Amino acid sequence: MFEGVPIISIIILLPLIGAIMSFSLGRHDKYAKWVALGFSTAALVLSLLVVVAFMVEPNTGSEGYHEGNGFFDFQFYEEYSWIESLGIRYIVGLDGLSIALFVLTTLLSTISILFSWDTKLRPKEYFGLMLVLEVGVLGVFTTLDYFVFYVFWEIVLIPMYFLIGVWGGPNKDYAAIKFFIYTHIASLALLIAIMAMYFEAGANSFGMEDIWRAGQSEFARTFQIAVFAAAFFGFGVKLPMVPFHTWLPDAHVEAPTAGSVLLAGLLLKMGGYGIIRVAMPTLPEGAEALQLVMAAIAIASILYGALVCLAQRDLKKMVAFSSISHMGFVLLGYATFTQVGVAAGVFQMFAHGLVTAVLFMMCGVVQHHCGTRIIQDLGGLSKKMPAASTMMTIGFLASLGLPGLVSFAAEFMVLASMFDTWALWLFLPIISVAITAAYYLWALQRSMFGPLTTKIDTSHVHDMNWYESVPVGLLLALIALFGVFPLVVFQYIDPAVRIVLDLFGGG
Amino acid sequence: MAVWNYLDGFFPQLLLIAFALVMPAIDYVVKDKRVLAWASLVPLLVLAALFTEWLFIGGWEPPASDIALLEVSMFSGLFVLVFVFVGIVVVLGSPEFIKADKNQGEYYALILLAITGMTVVAEAADLIALFVGLEIAGISSFALSGFRKTEKRSAEAATKYFIVGGFSSALTLFAISLIYGVAGTTQIVGIEPVLAGYVSGTEPIDAGPVLVLATVLLMAGFGFKIAMVPFHMWAPDVYEGAPTPISGLLAAASKKMGFAAFFKVFLIGLILTKTDWDIAVGALAIITMTVGNLIAVSQTNMKRLLAYSSIAQAGYVLIALPVATQYAVAGGMFHILTHAFMKSGAFMVVAAMGAVAVGEKLDDFKGLNRRSPFLALSMTLFLLSLAGIPPLAGFASKFVLFSSSVYASFEPGQGWLIWLAIAGVLNSALSLYYYARVIKYMYMEKGTGDSVKIPPMMAVAVGFAVLMVVGIGLFPDPFVSACRDAAEAFSGLAPGWR
Repeated sequence: MFEGVPIISIIILLPLIGAIMSFSLGRHDKYAKWVALGFSTAALVLSLLVVVAFMVEPNTGSEGYHEGNGFFDFQFYEEYSWIESLGIRYIVGLDGLSIALFVLTTLLSTISILFSWDTKLRPKEYFGLMLVLEVGVLGVFTTLDYFVFYVFWEIVLIPMYFLIGVWGGPNKDYAAIKFFIYTHIASLALLIAIMAMYFEAGANSFGMEDIWRAGQSEFARTFQIAVFAAAFFGFGVKLPMVPFHTWLPDAHVEAPTAGSVLLAGLLLKMGGYGIIRVAMPTLPEGAEALQLVMAAIAIASILYGALVCLAQRDLKKMVAFSSISHMGFVLLGYATFTQVGVAAGVFQMFAHGLVTAVLFMMCGVVQHHCGTRIIQDLGGLSKKMPAASTMMTIGFLASLGLPGLVSFAAEFMVLASMFDTWALWLFLPIISVAITAAYYLWALQRSMFGPLTTKIDTSHVHDMNWYESVPVGLLLALIALFGVFPLVVFQYIDPAVRIVLDLFGGG
Repeated sequence: MAVWNYLDGFFPQLLLIAFALVMPAIDYVVKDKRVLAWASLVPLLVLAALFTEWLFIGGWEPPASDIALLEVSMFSGLFVLVFVFVGIVVVLGSPEFIKADKNQGEYYALILLAITGMTVVAEAADLIALFVGLEIAGISSFALSGFRKTEKRSAEAATKYFIVGGFSSALTLFAISLIYGVAGTTQIVGIEPVLAGYVSGTEPIDAGPVLVLATVLLMAGFGFKIAMVPFHMWAPDVYEGAPTPISGLLAAASKKMGFAAFFKVFLIGLILTKTDWDIAVGALAIITMTVGNLIAVSQTNMKRLLAYSSIAQAGYVLIALPVATQYAVAGGMFHILTHAFMKSGAFMVVAAMGAVAVGEKLDDFKGLNRRSPFLALSMTLFLLSLAGIPPLAGFASKFVLFSSSVYASFEPGQGWLIWLAIAGVLNSALSLYYYARVIKYMYMEKGTGDSVKIPPMMAVAVGFAVLMVVGIGLFPDPFVSACRDAAEAFSGLAPGWR
């Protein structure tokens, strides 16, 4: 469908053009949202066409198909030289690991822009930054050169810093700078890991495939362990993993709703994607040596995140901590080194992206209409906002892993493969399933059902606006769709995961 | 013609000096003092064009020197280009800043003379020439710092700078005389062969403590120039007191001259005794970047903040010395190049704010976005680049610089070099804290005051620096190549250098 068309670059460029247009609107800043919606929708439509093309015609040998020869096969492959003297090239391509996250990015970006439709404060900067963020995340999920990967990885920080710092809540200054510095330090560990891999590979190339290939013979075991630890730290902070998660609740609580959606929906996935795309294929021996560390951190994140949720008074903070718990499943899936587990980990990223977007949007709706997110002050809202409470209920059920909705498939498979690998140690993560159900249902009961609250003035509370219910409705439909047909996504993840695992000694 | 054959190696210096000398005369004749700025741009633009063609395009080549004092190579050429570019930015930013001052002719003449001295240092092949260049640049900059002689802070800055500078010159000269006493030569490339006994008819010389003393004195002497901790105390006071464009000249160009001297003398002249000084310089690099960044955090005056930030940046460049590979020299030069643009640009933003009476305190940056979106955006780009955020120039150069120490640490026995890279990246993260705070002031805090109009020449100066910071960040390839050529030329100067 896209023979000879640099379709991925076009999709990355569209939001960038939109951002530049939005920034330069001058006095006509009321059109910023239309510009942003226009360009992000264009990117979304094109990316959906890319998905169709990806599924329909993976014709090997065609232009734009890149054979990995033992490594990943990519479609829509583009390669241009950038900094020749250091062997840095701009390479992009999509495969089973990235395609779902790629389209998730364009989808959530468009939806968040729609959801922020009534932003009145400095709209041209707001929507411009949202588009810059989309550019950065799209770049991370498509680029196949370590240097360019790092560039996109860091670009993401700046718009998010401003989104939190300008449009955030009361404690935004602290949260913005903490987010920026915390994640930047992690990135720098990654940077050193990338430098080390580049030089040790000795291929004078930052191309991922060149380094994967060279790493097979060049990377000694101790080198792999050290570099994997650095890269794992770099990605793990983004994930986030306990005990490096403390930036996340602050950032989420203060960020504007759309910022939270992108933060949880996309930025956390960058960490999960980095581990499976960069750390594990390049440094399989390092990963094997640190398998138990990965698993222990994953289980700690799952349990800690869930337990802390029980104690939260703020609805949004609860959702933020639940992200830590759910992203722990991604890491746990990877740590099993089994076909099912790793694939389920990848799928969990996609699932969590959809579900958590709904949850943060519902927090935003509650905040917007009731003026507070403190669970104790809410109550009986289902009488005032029936549509909102229905959507919130479905969202919570999806997040706690109700069969038939998307998270169930992912988390169930992670737990099943965990049983394969570590048998009865399964009891640790399985506790969290019960805790998760408990905090979600308890919060739901206190905020949505029961007698109408008297602690806040509910006379002006009305149901969701169109620009709130349309995005949430759309996401819920997808949650149900992929809950019933997870195989649609899995069939593309599986072969890519097989390639990762083939690099491991045990297979 | 015989005289010209002798002098043509001095072509850039002669051009600059000629214009410097006519500057007071022009000042006497013209009413509109901006003519002075245009006139002093002429030699700078000519040199910028010629050296850009030489280093990046090919074609023109500078005349080679017949005398042994100067060594014209791509290494010196890149430094000259940096000095000239900074000169252009500084001159463009000056007319509005000093429009109410007297003696403007001397001001521009001194800028040109300072740049002349820096080019002599960059091209020096002989320790004496090096010292003369340091002095030409130094004395011109002392006078420039005290240009507003009726202003207390300016006079204080000049006095401090003069005393410290004079002291460091004395140390340098003493060290040079010690080296001459040991090696019997002042030729920089001649020192190592004599010490190693490569010259026929000589034995290897074990200079022992004399050479160590000379090394330490040179470290102090050059350390003053680059504001290396613990010889950095003067820098914040001088940068704060001097006219802001001159602070830019000092931070972005004068400091680089110190590095040119450092590279030449340590990596060529004293390379034989590298094991004597490499750990010391490495430790000083880490201390310099850490101290600079830590003190910068608590600054409330923007010029002082930038002063400490450039102390920290000097610490990064120092990494290149103990690593001592061609790649490291290339990285160091690349960072010198990018830092020249980010730092001179940042000082020009402060100068512009001073010129339109906004102020130079950190608090004056509050709400700058509403008063001048152009200045706020430019400053944001400079600061993010200084912090090393991609895809800006500072990231590209830090990447090459830090990666050179990672690479060198793979060599057996050189494992400790990795700590230089780790210290570098940790410091980059630390520096982000105070840079981000300035950005926060500009965009997220409410300020008072109306929007301001930036004088066009200052806007051009800032705009040029922005263009370079973004341009080098997006298309670093020609610059990396130029730095690699320069490093290759540098290693070609000394036989036996890897």
